[in-house]
Parts: sequence; structure tokens; C-alpha cells
Amino acid sequence: MKFSYNWIRELVRDLDVEPRELMRLITIKTAECEGVELTGAHFERVVAARVLSVEPIADSHNVKAVVDAGGLGRRTVVCGAPNCRAGIVTAYVPSGTALEGRVIEKRVVSGVESDGMLASAAELGINRDQEGILELDGVEPGARLPRLAADSIIEVDNKSLTHRPDLWGHHGMAREVAAITGKQLRDPVNTELVPAASPVYGVDIRDLQLCPRYSALVVANVKVGPSPLWFQQRLQAVGLNPINNIVDITNFVMAELAQPMHAFDADKLRGDTIIVRGAEEGERMLALNGEWYELTPSALVIADREGPIALAGVIGGWDSAISDTTTRIVFESANFHAASIRRTSSRLKLRTDASMRFEKAQDPVNTLRGLARAVALLELVAPDARIAGGLSDMAAPPRTTAPIELPMDWLVRKLGRPIAPGEVRRILEALEFGVSEPAQGVFSVRVPSWRATKDISIKDDLVEEIGRMEGYATIPPTPPLVPAVPASDNPRLRFFRSLRRMCAAQGFDEVYNYSFLSEEDVRRFGLAPEDHIRVTNPISVEQGLLRRTLIPGLWKNIQENGKHFASFRLFEVGFEIHKRAGSLPEEAPHLAAAMYSRQGGTETLFEVKRLAECLMPGCELRPAQARQYEHPSRAAEVWWRGEAAGRMFEFHPNYVETGRAVVLDIDLAVVERLAPADVKYKAVRRYPESAFDLSVVAGQRALVGDIGRQIHSLGGPYLEQVEFLRQYEGAPLPEGVKSVSFRITVAAADHTLSNEEVTAVRDGIISGMRASGYDLRV
Amino acid sequence: MIEESLKELAASTRKRIDEAATAGALEAVRVEVLGRKGTLAQISKDMGRIAADERAKIGKLLNAAKSELESAMDARKAMFEEQALNARLDAEWVDLTLPAPGPRPGSLHPLTQIQQELEDLFLSMGVSVLYGPEVETEYNNFDALNIPPDHPARDMQDTFWLEGGHVLRTHTSPVQVRGMARFGPPLRMIAPGRVFRNEEVDPSHEHTFYQLEGMMVDRDVSIAHMLYFMKTLLAHIFGREVTVRLRPGYFPFVEPGFELDVQCLICGGPGCPVCKQSGWVELLPCGLVHPNVLRMGGIDPEQWGGFAFGLGLTRLVMMRYGIDDIRHLQGGDLRFLRQF
Repeated sequence: MKFSYNWIRELVRDLDVEPRELMRLITIKTAECEGVELTGAHFERVVAARVLSVEPIADSHNVKAVVDAGGLGRRTVVCGAPNCRAGIVTAYVPSGTALEGRVIEKRVVSGVESDGMLASAAELGINRDQEGILELDGVEPGARLPRLAADSIIEVDNKSLTHRPDLWGHHGMAREVAAITGKQLRDPVNTELVPAASPVYGVDIRDLQLCPRYSALVVANVKVGPSPLWFQQRLQAVGLNPINNIVDITNFVMAELAQPMHAFDADKLRGDTIIVRGAEEGERMLALNGEWYELTPSALVIADREGPIALAGVIGGWDSAISDTTTRIVFESANFHAASIRRTSSRLKLRTDASMRFEKAQDPVNTLRGLARAVALLELVAPDARIAGGLSDMAAPPRTTAPIELPMDWLVRKLGRPIAPGEVRRILEALEFGVSEPAQGVFSVRVPSWRATKDISIKDDLVEEIGRMEGYATIPPTPPLVPAVPASDNPRLRFFRSLRRMCAAQGFDEVYNYSFLSEEDVRRFGLAPEDHIRVTNPISVEQGLLRRTLIPGLWKNIQENGKHFASFRLFEVGFEIHKRAGSLPEEAPHLAAAMYSRQGGTETLFEVKRLAECLMPGCELRPAQARQYEHPSRAAEVWWRGEAAGRMFEFHPNYVETGRAVVLDIDLAVVERLAPADVKYKAVRRYPESAFDLSVVAGQRALVGDIGRQIHSLGGPYLEQVEFLRQYEGAPLPEGVKSVSFRITVAAADHTLSNEEVTAVRDGIISGMRASGYDLRV
Repeated sequence: MIEESLKELAASTRKRIDEAATAGALEAVRVEVLGRKGTLAQISKDMGRIAADERAKIGKLLNAAKSELESAMDARKAMFEEQALNARLDAEWVDLTLPAPGPRPGSLHPLTQIQQELEDLFLSMGVSVLYGPEVETEYNNFDALNIPPDHPARDMQDTFWLEGGHVLRTHTSPVQVRGMARFGPPLRMIAPGRVFRNEEVDPSHEHTFYQLEGMMVDRDVSIAHMLYFMKTLLAHIFGREVTVRLRPGYFPFVEPGFELDVQCLICGGPGCPVCKQSGWVELLPCGLVHPNVLRMGGIDPEQWGGFAFGLGLTRLVMMRYGIDDIRHLQGGDLRFLRQF
């Protein structure tokens, strides 16, 4: 929202704060200002000039014009405007003037020295007309352009005005400024200007909830034409496009009072009643912007006897719009239910200056004020116009809001500093709250109508009013007194930390990937898009699904980093998001780790396996059926404490072409659940252990893990450990077999094992293994 | 006579010991002179033939010679052993400038690091750390935070909607709702986590970023308490006292609501490009918890009050390390990540 400093200064008596300081004050007391920009400084230099003569310039569409600039004398300028002709009075910009961010210098154009320039209204920042140079009426050469002056435009962040319907107009902001600076607010509205006569149109509001008030006034003898330049410049400076005097009035009122208005061509309306109703199924309307809108019953329309003439609170209709030939108009000044306007405007994807204001919950009292102000403005921009009849007005019974009880001791406890009751009263009254003190130490605060629609309803809201105006800088930071209780434990915090520390210690770098995947991403990994949760409004189709595996993200990391590194390790801790009927999705914490190497070999597999063993001591890998993206003979499930906890695999070479990449994907919920909670001490053994080695001959693809487990199961109560030593293939072993050596350690808790006992264990294992079909080299 | 030859033997053996070039040569001398069948043993065997009156004297001489030679022998032997050890150690020379084998230590993501740092700070102040889900109900993300449907504040956060009506949480504030339900008052909690906004990505905008929510509910919580907490937090983050200012800010779940600005750490106040010439950098939205939010969290606002704040972890990481492109954080580029 743009605020004109000049406009505010008209509304605050004796305002003596410079624009930049005003911006700072507004920022710390009211709403966030994004900047201040000086506009129209050139009006201090621009003068009216009469074109004396115009000569064509050979081979150029420009002309050479000699102008009489009054006190500045005669100047020669090169001008390209089609309407540059002798006799007209236009705007002359002397050399050395800054205009639209550049300085106009004396220079040669089309072979002619041009001293200054003749300017269009758009170049001067009056409106958007750039068809030709400005043509002035009744201004003497050499005179300044009447009432056009430099102005500072303060830009306020719209987000910080979300809760303040009153600040969508200059008068509301001026009230803040007056309260901040201790000056007096001037009200530009005189409601007595609205005549008390019988109205021309009846008003029929079908739902007073959706339209709490509709006011209208008919104006006859209207001559539609441009507004005075200063009026146009004022609208232009705050970002509103000047159109014609009537439309400009409605915009001026909106910019000043935050009350959106509309003007209909009265001769285009059918019937004698303005109806406010829900749209009928299948109804459509051509709007002012030239677009057709298909309406549904949830949309509120303004209609005449025949059909919709405006989309309530959003945009007017094309057919009843003001045109050059309009002579009779209806000014509409209405109030609509905020959420309803917002719903319609979002559904039609049509946000207008009006809808933006209505959705903040405007004050129904303001409709009449808007009309009164419009009447006053007619004097300035359409002096021949005459009011026809009286006010058409229909309204819901005024909302009565009970005063807010504000206990002083409560206020002090919220602020955290003492404040004098007199000061509280002064602040609230400066903001036009009604204050009384029914009991010692308790104020009864009546909220003005423009703050009562949504903004202020409870005493907490008043804390803000008092705090900000008093100045938050006056509140001393104070340590709170709190119970000395420890923070509640968060086991996941500790688990994730140790996990990440372990991964980093094993050389893995942490990455964060997005939660979004594309359909192509998931299909690449053999998943069906329909099994994923879909984003209904994604930024792009590439980000339309929520990930239910971290692997595609990791795979992209591998592709990208493979361009820069011969080998690397990386990991991500993140959430898989799985559909779950009837409730929030399941968010499964996963660790995905990968190691890449441009060289082949199996070391990579075992480096990644070590990470698994670090996280899950004693975990086992069980060969698994490979998926489409996995190396067909290098894929395994990771089992820990009797449960499948994840998967380890090497990427299929079709997926990683420049090297080898191994992935570990672990379901952290399983690991978290299975991680041992308590450590139980076991007595350190006092008797020595014994060890012997055994070599088992087995088929080439027999699993060492299986053989070891088999030995383990045969070991009996004295078995301490079965340790893999080495495996061997080749002579003298026959083709297709290997020999696997283990060291078996045995011991007893209560005595030293005798040779006979050790031999008995050994013999038991050997015969057991043989019975299971293994050959032993003993 | 025998005395003479004993002295001579001692002297010549002494010379041979000193001149022995190797441990082997020394051993040969030992065997020859001091061995069981060596010269000295022979002499002592022959002692019987010596006149009794001389025997004691010769015996003494013999023992003296033997012990002298033995200690010379030991010394020489020790010298050889030391030499041998030195030679072996010398041969064990290693080039210690060679790189260590095995993986270099991995790095933790800068967001992880800053999150852990802040978690530790708050834990040290007795504040619990809670985690909430990334997919939230519309109710928790909006309604329970005093943002009803069709409230214009819903526009302040461009929302990703999911099929089924849930949302990707637009802020960590829904964890307030979960925290109140789980613990009730009094309550001190933070909730760091990933949040989502439907925004095009460019060097300073991301659709995925990290926040840290904080909330305290107790009897008589004031703006002054909130300010103290915020200043403590910021002093820790920046490693020094920072100048702050509080100004009005609108967030439906707090009343009053504030923006807390930090005096620009780059220019210190006069204005520079980082603070857009204002001297202040907007850092911490915060406020006193709106009574509606307390009520929806099952807490009686007449009995309890609170403050809440939201800290942008992504923003903080970028400020701390001077990162100029937000996209690095989720880009997975190890050339970036290994710097932390």
C-alpha cells in the first residue's frame, strides 16, 4: 500500500515530521514501511510553454518546435509527439531537470540542438497517457503547472496491514500519525452533504450477513472527462490509474477512506431497485476488465431487474460502466462480508483494490462517509453535476460491541513495566477509543467502529495499542521466574545426533534433499506415482509428489558429485512420507547413505557395510532379490535383532555409469525401537580361554555368514566367539569350492577348560558340520 | 710366574674385547677366555698344582681378572646391542608426510549444526525440544493458530495443499499446538524443523526451509520476559550482545505480535546494502500467545499466558556463513557442504 506524504499532511494538522522520519515512526509504532520514494520533484522546475512554431526535420518523424516558456524565454526543442503543433500550451521541462530517473540535458537530436523537452502526462507522472505531449488549458506560459508538486511516497508492507481495515486508506494512517506525533487529525468528510430526500433507487439486500450495508446515491448532469491534473497525479502517485473524473472519484475515496466505491451508468440500469443477492446457477457477467466470469451461488452479485451488474466487492460489470456519454450515475458505497469476498475473489483468481480491502473486514459505518466524500469531490472534478434524490440505504442493525474491560494491573503484568493510568487513557483517546473508569484501576474501553470489525475485540488487543504507542523500547528485558524443572527428554534428538555423528565419523558428508519428486523420478525407481501423496498445487510437475523413498534424491546427488569427485560418501537423514488412510501420512525416518567410487571393486560394498555395523552392531546382510535399479547379485536386506531394518545394494550399472555406487537405506524407526536401552554388566571372566581353528570346505557361493552361524549353533555352552579368518579357493581344492577358516574361542565362567573339554567342543562342531553336509579340512 | 701370565692374559683379552668388531667376534673371545672350557677355567682347574701359600693370592687375582673381563665384555655387548637397535630403528624410517589412509571425516550439514547448537542452548535453559510432522492437518497449521478458513492471513503463507486436504506445514507453529496438548501448562518448548512455502526458488527464496519455533507458557508472562529470552538467544547466536528493537508485526496466533529487528551486524546502524539502508535486519517474529490459541490448546488464558517466537534457521545459517545463494543448502553439492 502506497501512502502519499502530502495527502497525510493534509489530514494531520501542523505535521512537522520529515518523510523519512515519518516512515521510521510508522514502522516502529504501526506497520512495516518498505521505503520512501520522492516523486514529482521535477514539478519544481517544469513550466507551461506555448508552442510558437513547428518545423519538420528532414528524415525524421521529430519536429523542431520553438516555444515561449514565459520567464525562461524562447527555447528550441526537438519533439516527437504527434500533437505538437503551434498554438497549444504544453509542459516544458528545462535542461538539467531530472525526469523518470534521468537528467534532461541540452543535446543534438536529429541534427537540431534541443534545449529541454516537451513532456507527456505519463512522463510527468500525472497519469499513464503517453500518446502525446500534455495540452494545458488556462495556464500562462512560464507558470508552474497548477497544484502539481513533489511528494514522498511511503510504501507499507501489505502483510503488516492484514488486520487493519482502516489502514487501507490515508485517513486511517493519518489517524495513526496524529496519535504518534501528538497532532490533530482532520476529518475530510462532511456527512451533511448527503441530502435527505427520497431515494431514486430502492435497495434490496437478500442476505444482510453477506452484505451488511448498501448505500447509493444518484448524480445527474454529469460530464465525463479527465480529472484535474493534480487530482490525477495524486491517484497516480499511490498506484491508482486515472481513468475519468467519475471513476477517479471512486478511487480517491477508496484511497482516502479505505471504502471501495463503484459508479454505474444510471441509464444502463433496468428497473428501480438495486438487488444484492447470490448469483444464480449458470449466471455469467462481462466485467470491466473485458473478461467473462462464470458465477456460482456462493458469489454475491449486485443486480438490477435483468441480471448482474457487478460482482459484489470485486469488480463492476462492463455493460453498466461509465462511458464518455454517461450523464447520470449511481455511486455505490457498500459493505460486504470479508470471507465471502475473499472466497469469490480466490475462486475467480481476481484480486482487485476493492476485494483486497473488503476481505480485511471494512466498517459498515464508512459507506455513508464514502458517499459524502464523493459528493464533496464532485465539486472539484465535475462541478456541473447535481445530486438527484436522496440516499438509498439498507443496512443490518448496527453491531453493538460491548466495551472491553481493561484492568490496569493485568496490563502491567502483560507489558512487564509499570504505566500510569493517565498515559493509558491518553494513548487510547488519541486513537479515538472511548475510555471510562467504572472502578478504580479498571478502564472500560469502547472500540471505534473502524477497529471493531475484526481487529480489536479483547483486552489483549489493547495491550498492543498501548505498548506500541508508548514504545516497546521502554520495556526492560526481564528474566522470567520459572520452575526449576529439567527439560523433557527427547530420545529421537539423542538418537539422530549419535546417528549423524557416526555417519560423519565414517567419512560420510551430510546432504539435505527436497521432499518432492516427479513422476519420472518415482517410475525410475520402480514405484507407481499413484502410491504417492500428490501436491494439489505444485510449483511444477517435477515437484508434484511427496517422496516415499530417499533414494532418488541420493541418486541425483551421486550423479552430480560424480562429475567433481573420484570417490565420495554422503548421507541424508530424512522422512519418507507414506499414504495412510483416514489420517495424517506416516512419516518414516530413514537414513540413506551412499558411497561412490569411479573404480570398480568390492571395497565400496564393505565400507558401506561397516557403516551398517557401526549403527547396528551385529547386524546381518541377507542376500535379496534385486530390484530394477540394483546390481542383480549385490543386493541384500539388513537384519538386526531379528527384524528387517533396511537394505544395502550396489546400483545397477545402468543407473550409475561412471563408477560404482553402494547404498544403505535404513528404517530408523526400527533401529530406534531395537536399540538396547540399558547396559547390563557381565562379570569379567577370571579363567583363561582357549581357541582352535577350523576350515570348512563349501560351495563357492555358500555364505560365510551361514557357515559361521551353523558353527555357532553347534558350539555349546562354552562357545565364546566364532571369528572368520580367511577364505581360499584354488589348488589343491577342486574347482567350484572354497575353504573358509574360522577361529573358535571357548571358555567357561567357573574353571579353566581342560584339553578334553576343548576337544569335545571341537569334535561336536566337526561332526555336526559333517552331518550338515560340509566337508572339513582337519 | 703364573701371576705374570695371568696379567698378560687379562691385558691381551681386554684388548681383544675392545677390538672385537662384531657381536660374533666378541662371543668367540668370551667362549675362548671366559667359557666353561676357556682359558680362565683352565687356569682355575690348574690351581691345585699351585703351592698352597700362593693359591689364595692367585685365586684372588684370577677372580679379579674374571670379573673385570666380564664387565668389559658386558659393556661391549651392550654397545653392540644398542648399535643393532639403532640400525634397526634407522631402517624403520617412515615418511610421515604421506597422507593417512581411510576416509576423511564427514561433515554435518550447516543446518544440522546450527539446529544442534540452538537445541543445546535451549536445553541448558530447561526448554524441551519437540519435533512435529512435516505434513500437518489444516486445523493444526491454521485454525488452531487462530487462522480460520478465508482469513486473509492465509495469504501470508503460500501453502502447498495435498490431496486429502492436508498441508505441508507452512511454519513450525503447529508444534505449539502439539506441545500444549502433550504437556499442558507450564510449558517451555522449542520445535526446529523443515517447513514449506509455495514459492518459486531463486537465490533468496526457497520452497523448503528450516525454522525454529519457541513457546513459553506460564503465569504472568510479559513482553519484558520475551525480550529477555530473545536477547539471550541472540547474544548466544552471534557471540555478543546485540541491539534489538521491537515493533508491531501481525501474526494471528500472537497478540500483541512483533517483529524483532537486530541492529545490522554489518554496518552497525548507519545503513548498508545488507540492511537495505535501514540499519536494522528483521530476524524474529514473536509475540504474546493469543488467548484463542491457548484456549484451543486446552489452556485457560485467564490463568496462563505465554510468548512464542519463530526463528529462521535457514536465514541464520546464511547470515552466519555469508552464504549468498539459498539453493546451496538443498543442492547436495559436496564442494559446498564439505566447507562446514
